[in-house]
Amino acid sequence: MGRLYRAIPVSLLVFIVYIVFTGAITPYDIITGVLVSIVIGIITANIVISNPYKPFDPRRWAHTIVYTLYYFFVAEVKAHIDVIKRILSPKMPINPGIVKIPIRVNSDYAITAVANSITNTPGTVVVEIDENGKYFYVHWIDVKRIDEEGAYRSISYIFEKYASKVFD
Amino acid sequence: MGNTLQVVIIISLTLMVIGLAMVLAMGGFGFTVPPSSVRSLATIFLNTTFNLDTKYRYVSAMSPEAVTAIVWDYRGLDTLFETSVMFIAIVGALAISRGASEKLLKGFSKTRGGMSLIVKTITRIIIVMIASVGLSITLHGHLTPGGGFQGGATIAVAPMLLIITFSIYLFSKMITVSKAVTLRSIGLIGIALSAFIVLIIAILHGDLAYIFQNQPKLYSHYGLPSYAEVMVLGGTLLLFNTFETLAVAFGFTALFILFILPEEVVKDIIKGEE
Repeated sequence: MGRLYRAIPVSLLVFIVYIVFTGAITPYDIITGVLVSIVIGIITANIVISNPYKPFDPRRWAHTIVYTLYYFFVAEVKAHIDVIKRILSPKMPINPGIVKIPIRVNSDYAITAVANSITNTPGTVVVEIDENGKYFYVHWIDVKRIDEEGAYRSISYIFEKYASKVFD
Repeated sequence: MGNTLQVVIIISLTLMVIGLAMVLAMGGFGFTVPPSSVRSLATIFLNTTFNLDTKYRYVSAMSPEAVTAIVWDYRGLDTLFETSVMFIAIVGALAISRGASEKLLKGFSKTRGGMSLIVKTITRIIIVMIASVGLSITLHGHLTPGGGFQGGATIAVAPMLLIITFSIYLFSKMITVSKAVTLRSIGLIGIALSAFIVLIIAILHGDLAYIFQNQPKLYSHYGLPSYAEVMVLGGTLLLFNTFETLAVAFGFTALFILFILPEEVVKDIIKGEE
């Protein structure tokens, strides 16, 4: 029974992708789309999703929107301006290095969201994740703090705050 | 040696850019190669692939996509043999490494193989979308460019990604070669049945039909429905495409597993039994 519940959000994703890729909503597309999404949803439900109730929680979606807006219009812009300054400055003020920062979110999706957020902002790249999923190793263009707590505060604290509300 | 190679690469890249620019420029100036007027052969196919006109009804494949109409209707027997070529290739691969994939399960351990958690999580979402796109290509094979083989090959990317990111040991827990080959055989049986389905329908009505018949012909008025209300179904083409997808996707899955077997696991088997 759990598998069927888990299949519902997966089927929705499949249906949306199917319709977007097909680019039409004639009756044929909708009928085949529903069939395809049911089949794929049931087959892959256990691989994709562990908790079927999370995708239907409106608070999580609200946090997702806030996170997206914050990420693309604040975090990204700040990081871009910072890196542009370093590139244009004739003295090239970089101090690169790899720091180890702890992970304080739990689910796989939250860890992935944080890691991709860090990588996608210019200046920081996640180069490796600890085997047990407890630490990131992050390459940082300007290492300000090398202790775990300080690096955590400057790099991933704000992403983890949102990611834990969305995914955990 | 290194310098010569670099010069060759630079010259060939330059020629490619000039060639592409020339084609684009010629298109822009109104020279088109081949000429834009439709040639007589194309006219014939455009008239016969999808035509409700009584003059063409008995030669029409009733599929708006001309290529699929040709591939699965006009020259269906050719396509059947093309499919069997890949099946024979898989038979060869299975014969060389028989029993090898079952040995993988013994080497399975709970240790986390494969790539990092980030790649695994992204893969879990991506494979679902790949399967969806593949099935869309398949099910619209008689409407837009695409079809069974293309859809199946697209879907086969999903097991490939799973093998790479989750390691072959974990993947062999999900699906084994024998299971994949079984599903592929179901697809092939489906293709064979689709070739005979109109004949079977005709015999049930006490009449005869052609093998690989799709739409009604002049001497045999049987055929699968090409229309349902407002939907174009394409008769047997839809069945052929669906079963071809099943066959190709799981055929590739079996081949990928066999290709990626670690040598130390299967060395004894591949060496043979002298």
